[in-house]
Amino acid sequence: MLTIALPKGRLQGPALARFAGAGLVPDEDPGSSRKLIVPAGSRARFVLLKDGDVPLYVERGAADLGVCGLDQVLESGADLLTPIDFGFGKCRLCLAAPKESKLAKSTLSEAAELGRSLRVASKYPKLAARWFARRGVPVDLFALSGSVELAAVAGLADAIVDLVESGRTLAENGLVIVDDILQVSARLCVNRASYRLKVEELLPLLEKLG
Amino acid sequence: MDFAAPLPGTQDLLFDAARRLRRCEAALLGVFERAGYAEVIPPSVEAADVFGAEAFRALDRSGRLLALRSDFTAQVARIAATRLAGFSPLRLHYRGSVVRRLGEGPVHENLQAGCELVGAAGPEADAEIVALAAASLQALGLEEARISLGSTGYFSALARAAGASEKLAAALIDEVDRKDLPTLRSLCEREVPAGAAREALLMLAQPPRPQTAARELLAKASALAPSEDALAALRRLGDVLERTDDRRLEVDLGEVRGLGYYTGIVFNLYAPGAPKAVGGGGRYDSLLGRFGDPRPAVGFSLDLDGLVAVARC
Repeated sequence: MLTIALPKGRLQGPALARFAGAGLVPDEDPGSSRKLIVPAGSRARFVLLKDGDVPLYVERGAADLGVCGLDQVLESGADLLTPIDFGFGKCRLCLAAPKESKLAKSTLSEAAELGRSLRVASKYPKLAARWFARRGVPVDLFALSGSVELAAVAGLADAIVDLVESGRTLAENGLVIVDDILQVSARLCVNRASYRLKVEELLPLLEKLG
Repeated sequence: MDFAAPLPGTQDLLFDAARRLRRCEAALLGVFERAGYAEVIPPSVEAADVFGAEAFRALDRSGRLLALRSDFTAQVARIAATRLAGFSPLRLHYRGSVVRRLGEGPVHENLQAGCELVGAAGPEADAEIVALAAASLQALGLEEARISLGSTGYFSALARAAGASEKLAAALIDEVDRKDLPTLRSLCEREVPAGAAREALLMLAQPPRPQTAARELLAKASALAPSEDALAALRRLGDVLERTDDRRLEVDLGEVRGLGYYTGIVFNLYAPGAPKAVGGGGRYDSLLGRFGDPRPAVGFSLDLDGLVAVARC
């Protein structure tokens, strides 16, 4: 029996389609059902979660595998296997700043010489911190839960680190992309122990999903 | 009263929990002693240089940097290289707690038991340690456990053949460890010249094979081996397989995870019900040299906290 963590939201539809292609179809439509656990025949069951919680469920073995954006996998720091890139849910994690700012007009290290740490707002504080640390740029990083663009527009931050799909929200708020941090797409994550202990069940599924 | 509970990452074991732990320890001790291993009890505090960066450190009054034990193997290597220098082979076992700082989480205390075979370089020594790990799982009633065997020696040989810098090798090992074939492929296409080394690196992210199918995997890898070192590492894996007969054993060339000092075979143990590895080991031929007595060695340790929770004994 395999337990599969499935994110609610925009990744759910394409993820379900891929599992259906591999022969795993939930017994009820997870979109309309209120159940949190939906069986898929006798071989598997889906658990429905917020996408940011998928890595934890899989790392701790409450789910054997799951679907999750690479951004969430890396931000969580969870110790997982990520054998398949599904290719959907594509977007970029970017560093962005106001169009007229020094950061937008010069290099990162020049802009970092503000006489104080660069103030950066993000929903991805760990990923952002790692990226700046690798470049040796001191930052004052803080986590926001939504409307990250506003932080740069309203003067709370010098720059933001956020997901960009079309770039329209940025443009409409007078922000430009300064640098790409990560190419994001949906990943299959697998628990390290499940991968070994349930290999007979997992491998045929991975082959069909991949 | 924020001192009324044990710190996160530590625990009190009471009554039944203590009894369970001691029962598992007794079963393991029996296995170790019957195999001819003798116990050593190293101190729980040492000079910080003995351990790696994960150790919990503090200065003593004279300004000397000390650390709580974070790894028994380094201590056993120190003992073997100093008081027991010249005696080969040495068969030593230990048990006790290790304390580690991992990531941003709290300081963690873990109970471990393990064995080290010092002064033996051959495949029969590797096989002895793998078989002892298997016997330990058996003594705990873990019939369905898995022993995932790989070789950091093989990975290092491939990285050398690919001309990889230290930075690139670290990035490659990361992707191999996560079985991230798509990222590994794009990394290899960018950084590793096309050829046998690249093909062999890409094979590392393949799924594990049970012992019965491992020969075929090793033959395929040998055909691609880009150097004599790589071929030798594969041949060694084959030799260990030939000497070990345990249905728990499987070969995973992507099993590269282990302590930084492993130089040859490496393996991790998985048991049903435990979400992460419950033990692991490998060959470490350069660790004793740090203490002035360069000798080959191989060993393993068990995570008792993880094992006690799932053991049937």
